[in-house]
Amino acid sequence: MSDYIIEMNHITKRFPGIVANDDVSIQVKKGEIYALLGENGAGKSTLMSMLFGMYEPDEGEIIIRGEKVKIASPNHATRLNIGMVHQHFKLVSNYTIAENIVMGMEPVRKHLGIFKTLDQKRANEEIRALSEKFGLEVDPTKVIENINVSMQQRVEILKMLYREAEILIFDEPTAVLTPQEIEFLLEIIESLRRDGKTIILITHKLEEIKKIADRCAILCRGKLIDVLDVKETDTKTMANLMVGREVNFSVDKPEPEYGREILKVEHLTVQNEDKFEVVKDVSFSVRGGEIFAVAGVSGNGQVELADAVAGLLRPSGGSITLNGKDITRAEIRSRNLEGISYIPEDRQNVGLVMDLSLSDNLALKSYFRPPFSKGSVIAGEAFTRYSDELIEKYDIRSGQGSETIVRSMSGGNQQKAIIAREIELDSSLLIFVQPTRGLDIGAIENIHRQIVEQRNKGKAVLLISLELDEVMNLADTIGVIYNGRIEKIADAGTLTPGEVGEFMMGVGGRHEKA
Amino acid sequence: MKKHDLIPFFTVLLSLVLGIVVIALLGKNPFLAYYNLLQGSGLAPKASYAGHKGMITDFTSFLNALTPMLLASLSVLIALKAGLFNIGVSGQMLAAAFVATVLVGYSELPAVLAKPLVILIGLAVGALVGGLVGYLRHRFNINEVVSTIMCNYIVQFVASFFINVFFVDPVSRQSKNIGAASRLTLVDTVVGDYKMDIPLGILVAAAAVAATVFLLGKTTLGFEIKAVGNSSRAAEYAGIRVGRTRVLAMMLSGGAAGLAGVTYYLGYFCSMQPRVLASTGYDAIAVALLGNSSPIGIIFSSFLITVISKGSTYMSSTAGVQAEMASALTGIILLISACGAYVRERLDRWKENR
Amino acid sequence: MNTIIIDGLSFALPLFIMAIGGIYCERSGVTNLAIEGLQGFGAFCGALFAVCIAPYFAGDSPVPFYLAMVFAFLGGTLFSLLHAMLCIRFKANQVISGVVINILAMSLTEFMTKQINASIFKAASNKFVLGVSARVTVPGISSVPVLGAVFTNLYPFEPVIALIAVIAWYVLYRTPFGLHLRACGDNPHAVDAAGIEVGKVRLIAVLVSGALSGLGGICFAYSISANFSSNIYSGYGYLAIAALIFGNWKILPTLGACLLFGFARSGGYELVKILEMPSSYQDLVMVLPYVLTLLMLVFFGRKNHSPRALGVIYDKGAR
Repeated sequence: MSDYIIEMNHITKRFPGIVANDDVSIQVKKGEIYALLGENGAGKSTLMSMLFGMYEPDEGEIIIRGEKVKIASPNHATRLNIGMVHQHFKLVSNYTIAENIVMGMEPVRKHLGIFKTLDQKRANEEIRALSEKFGLEVDPTKVIENINVSMQQRVEILKMLYREAEILIFDEPTAVLTPQEIEFLLEIIESLRRDGKTIILITHKLEEIKKIADRCAILCRGKLIDVLDVKETDTKTMANLMVGREVNFSVDKPEPEYGREILKVEHLTVQNEDKFEVVKDVSFSVRGGEIFAVAGVSGNGQVELADAVAGLLRPSGGSITLNGKDITRAEIRSRNLEGISYIPEDRQNVGLVMDLSLSDNLALKSYFRPPFSKGSVIAGEAFTRYSDELIEKYDIRSGQGSETIVRSMSGGNQQKAIIAREIELDSSLLIFVQPTRGLDIGAIENIHRQIVEQRNKGKAVLLISLELDEVMNLADTIGVIYNGRIEKIADAGTLTPGEVGEFMMGVGGRHEKA
Repeated sequence: MKKHDLIPFFTVLLSLVLGIVVIALLGKNPFLAYYNLLQGSGLAPKASYAGHKGMITDFTSFLNALTPMLLASLSVLIALKAGLFNIGVSGQMLAAAFVATVLVGYSELPAVLAKPLVILIGLAVGALVGGLVGYLRHRFNINEVVSTIMCNYIVQFVASFFINVFFVDPVSRQSKNIGAASRLTLVDTVVGDYKMDIPLGILVAAAAVAATVFLLGKTTLGFEIKAVGNSSRAAEYAGIRVGRTRVLAMMLSGGAAGLAGVTYYLGYFCSMQPRVLASTGYDAIAVALLGNSSPIGIIFSSFLITVISKGSTYMSSTAGVQAEMASALTGIILLISACGAYVRERLDRWKENR
Repeated sequence: MNTIIIDGLSFALPLFIMAIGGIYCERSGVTNLAIEGLQGFGAFCGALFAVCIAPYFAGDSPVPFYLAMVFAFLGGTLFSLLHAMLCIRFKANQVISGVVINILAMSLTEFMTKQINASIFKAASNKFVLGVSARVTVPGISSVPVLGAVFTNLYPFEPVIALIAVIAWYVLYRTPFGLHLRACGDNPHAVDAAGIEVGKVRLIAVLVSGALSGLGGICFAYSISANFSSNIYSGYGYLAIAALIFGNWKILPTLGACLLFGFARSGGYELVKILEMPSSYQDLVMVLPYVLTLLMLVFFGRKNHSPRALGVIYDKGAR
């Protein structure tokens, strides 16, 4: 009997049009922390989804604890003591922590022997005890929509432990955490390993792998490239293997040449639908030729801030000035015409009209002006001409050129289309929200280059990003947002990533506004 | 023509086949029944005709019935493009017809004034009701399916009340007939050897179809409607005023419904029955879905549905198949075209993943 | 005053049971606009059964009525399978599916009623005559002023509905199944990850709504129209939907909305009688529930939070 607790041999999985896993074989030892490294789309999540019973492999076999198994469902995986913490939490927002954890394995009371009732009290007690045992204290009666992301992640971990998982899979667990919370999570993972658990970590974060993993399997475009001993390998080697070529991490950025002030935000306050202030008394300004990056953990108001500047949300207080004009109450179209380009976080539901053609989408913000229309009548040829031009200039790939329905284009090309449209508007202010989310390294490099290019041309750039690396690489000025307030504004050169992380967590320094 | 423009054909074929099975099960001759439908609509010759009537009579009568159907379907189509479900076409029809009847139908105006006025009122009242529904959606976020149904019943009962109290014809138990001057169909006109009803409304319908094609394909408003109907958030992001676009779309939709109403109640018929709503409004949904939500497709599908409903009386008396079979057949067509949407989506996804 | 309560209750309760069915369906994430068609089809099945077996029972025996309820229950369930198939299996647009079900129910039942009357009963009628079911009064409590009216002149289906409503409430809020169902309407991915089959839960939810709608339909047939005909499609299914929207998709507040509709309707009729207006004015009264619906939606619609995943087609592969 080998000391491998998991063996996945010659696994192949196909989806329509793509081979997600191509003859991949990995073996995981009991009690080790095994990392799966790869870019988006490399096949890491798919591989582990099969381990968790969400799909079945087309070819190959899975052996758990020396026995060949066919894992047909998450229930089956649970019975094999395999658990998974997903990248997008699978929690019911209006249920309590206890209800979420016990769902599917509820403790029940039987009235009169027949009527099954959910035993709330016992559920709460069991969860409380469990959370204390593993050092993941939670209040089981709290409702999910009222707790923060790090706490929600704890609930996901507790879900696994409640089902007595021995093999724990973490899918990109640190994507939504601050540096400090990441530290804390890595400690928890270490302590779970000390408890005898086997951990599989899916990630594209090289430093984290270096910190806790024993071994690391590198996947690229569905194929297994290599399995490395983490202590003996440096991050540069890992990165190159992950991408398949030499990777250049830093961006060429000349010294800033600031122009006049283009965007000025003063004492801005924004409320959400429940009248809760998600942006509180925010003030900052962005000059021409400056990249102002807002760093922060997801959910601290940065998206709402961007939406308010772009006009998608109405502020309840404060003012927004663009090129000297007060646009606080202006409608979206007039803001656009004044000079704002907006690359939104949600490509598919906000940035594009998925079922219209590429040419319609590229003209989405200009259709009402000449040459696209005269009065109320649309000039179709103008659309096509413009679209062909942009496809050429920005290398937008699509099935049928200008006539392609955008829904059928890949995520990367959809983003290219949005960026093309927004840059061509030649606005004085460009707002980018999470522009490189889910894209591969080539696309990321390209977009970073474009952002710097626009900044060099004298445009003001407001960048909202959850990736600390992106912020540190691109920003001239950094603003850190926490709980709706800008906790710190400073020149990029004067802050270390650790310091930024502290401000992202709300600890660190006094309130300083540049 | 893309692959999935063929889907409506398959839908119709499948439904007709199902219809054959059902009719056969009832012990009647399905092919005769179908032929009867064509005969009843003036698309195939009958064995014999009453004096001064011929196939042309049946055909113009068919056109007479087609007109409101076409307009009603346009109404549903325009709303659908904006992402709205106008289920209240029947109520809007009745409302428009009621106002037109009371204001013009019972008046002494000469034809040259009355007829255009009727059309205008149809447009205006329909647009008003449609606009109201759109406004309720925009301002109060009231789902238009619920509000249009509510409006249907409100209009039905209010109109019924006024008819019964003020305008009733004691013999027919319906509203009093309107004068011929304001009627949009020239009844019993003599052309050559034949007597027929000439529906002037068909011209209105044709113009409406052309206008819709132009609107959706070539105007900024049409662009905005399509954007809003497809993704209201992206439309808002693009600077389009979503609420205003929805209200405008509903006004246009209601206007078309109003035209359907006046061509129905002051054209095809000349009176209104209390407490009853025309089924045209609901059949129009089938037509719009079947016509693949395109103005041209709707011409074909409304043709088909009207053949079925117009020919059903003849089918009932000749082949002995109940007239209700027609509505059952329409229902089946609707069901299968709803599935057709699924097939279409599957085809799209399959093409995407290749 | 008493009449208002009695008549109002007899209208509100069938409405309520249909709304509960709608709540089950929508809380599981499937939009249900098909209540109108489902209640009509259920009523058709129940009425058909009743007139078929009527010759075998004494004239005033309540048995056909109870059996009719069972068949209406079953008929509604059967027809809702269509909606389930279209929405869950075929991933169709749920609003379209609902509207299609309604139209199909109307045309099918109309056709079949006439056909069956013609072929089996040899009558050229488009109705199934049922008669109004006998009313029952609970002795003792009914003499209490005002409150006693609740127990007076009850249709036999009223206590049946009340019992079913209590059971439905219990299942939805206190059992594991109810927990799973409500979770499906919020985050079906969470339910899937917990190893529960979302499609199955939603299927059951849709079937429940079909059953309860059918029940409501036959109750209306026995009380308002005393027959089954195309008049069964009076838009009460849509009233039920409006009621559950006000009730914010929760059972108890929905009961309040239904009672409001019921009392508005019966109150209106009383008003016409008291003011001695001619019967044609009844048309105006009939408008009341619908106008009330619109007004309530205007004033109270804003605060509503529909289930998060309502109407969103569940795609396992989506992340």
